[in-house]
Amino acid sequence: MIVNAELFVNDLPGQLIGSLEPISLVNGNILGVVHNREKIIDHRICVNVTFEVDDKRLEELKDLWQSKDIVISSLGSVHETFKMDYILIGDVNAQYIESLVKKINEATTIDQISVSYSSKSIKTASHTSLISIKARYEDNLDKIDNILRKECKRSNVTYVRGV
Amino acid sequence: MKTFICGFGTIGQSVAKILKEKQEFFLDRYGEPLVVVGALDSKSFTVNPDGLNADELLSTKKTTGMVGDKPYKNIKDALNAVDFDILIEVTSTDIYTGGVGLDNIRYALKNGKDVVTANKGPLALRYKELINLADEHGRYLLFEGTVGGAMPIINLNKYDLAGQQIKSIRGIFNGTCNYILTKMDDGQPFEQALREAQQQGYAEADPTSDVEGYDSACKVVILANSIFGRNATFNDVDITGITSINSDAVALAKANGMVIRLIGEVSATKLEVAPRLIPRGHPLSLPGTLNTAEIITEYAGPITVSGIGAGGPETASAILSDIIDIMDVRIGE
Repeated sequence: MIVNAELFVNDLPGQLIGSLEPISLVNGNILGVVHNREKIIDHRICVNVTFEVDDKRLEELKDLWQSKDIVISSLGSVHETFKMDYILIGDVNAQYIESLVKKINEATTIDQISVSYSSKSIKTASHTSLISIKARYEDNLDKIDNILRKECKRSNVTYVRGV
Repeated sequence: MKTFICGFGTIGQSVAKILKEKQEFFLDRYGEPLVVVGALDSKSFTVNPDGLNADELLSTKKTTGMVGDKPYKNIKDALNAVDFDILIEVTSTDIYTGGVGLDNIRYALKNGKDVVTANKGPLALRYKELINLADEHGRYLLFEGTVGGAMPIINLNKYDLAGQQIKSIRGIFNGTCNYILTKMDDGQPFEQALREAQQQGYAEADPTSDVEGYDSACKVVILANSIFGRNATFNDVDITGITSINSDAVALAKANGMVIRLIGEVSATKLEVAPRLIPRGHPLSLPGTLNTAEIITEYAGPITVSGIGAGGPETASAILSDIIDIMDVRIGE
């Protein structure tokens, strides 16, 4: 995962390096550092750091910072997501799509899913629909693909997936 | 060297024309000409051990509908009527049985002839057998023209990307489907786009092989076997054609910045032909009748090639390069 952290360190020599060392200790990869000397609170200087780290080691990192008297002001994470689009053509209605989405949700971790229908067929019971999925991990896309392939084959629905 | 053109339709005629035009090239490169000593179509054949005149062949075909004046009952009789070195096998493709092309290639290899072909059927059905047969008899079987017409792909992978692992190849391998889907991008329904493709000469009267994805599947099998070393046949390909693609689906894709294209995909584990959603601007979103392929390589990353996927002179250009490959080796021996 990619993490943005706002830290406050004592205004003493070596404190900036001291705030970054724990990231290396948990095998993190520093992507960017800003030493914000204008932002001082309670004799502490602000350091903004962005890094990649295994999410399982984040708690360990927080403990390391705290043990070095570094104040964590904010900690936010950004996940990389993998997007795939699917168009389903056939006797597809909202209930069918809902059941597919439920199956996908049960089998994988997805960040976002959106469904849109063709304007022409929206007045009828069956639709041509576009499902856009953002998944947390790339191999989730394979799982989603397998689910849709199997279900669409069973229901005689043509599914067109992205690349 | 001497060659026999087996099949005198659009491609066979273009081969005859190009070989005539390239005589000076052959003389310069090898110090000897490449002579066409035999030509055959579905009804007739003609031979001349000293060489046939290409202009006369083309003219006879145009005026009589036949390339020669001799009928035959068995193609083997025609092939035995004259001595030659290279069989150019360009009879029509039969993806269900391999057709006469399969018999011709087998017969030529067994009788010590090198073979150059643009006929997909035999290779999609009996690749391993034919390659083994060629090896067994110390002959070449080259087939650049079977995939993508003028678009270089088999020799590109074999020579220019030699040594690298090819991770996957995916591409547009059927110009007819691409033409239809491009027309659908502009709002035409499938049936109308198909009819227009037939009127333009891009689609056959029976378009099944194209629109059901069978033609693309043959090419996927040839790539799987020749580049990935697999032992696949036509029946191993997961095929979905474009007949169920409707205007709604194309419009929905368009509204979301995408187009639908029939994509063949091959890797060490995958063999598939299916309509896919392609973002506009992606190399695989190409419009019209062009073929394109995106090759994912070990070191060079993605490499994209495109070219005219069918047609007489275009396919003949691929056949010419295979002939030159053979002559480079044979005359150097």
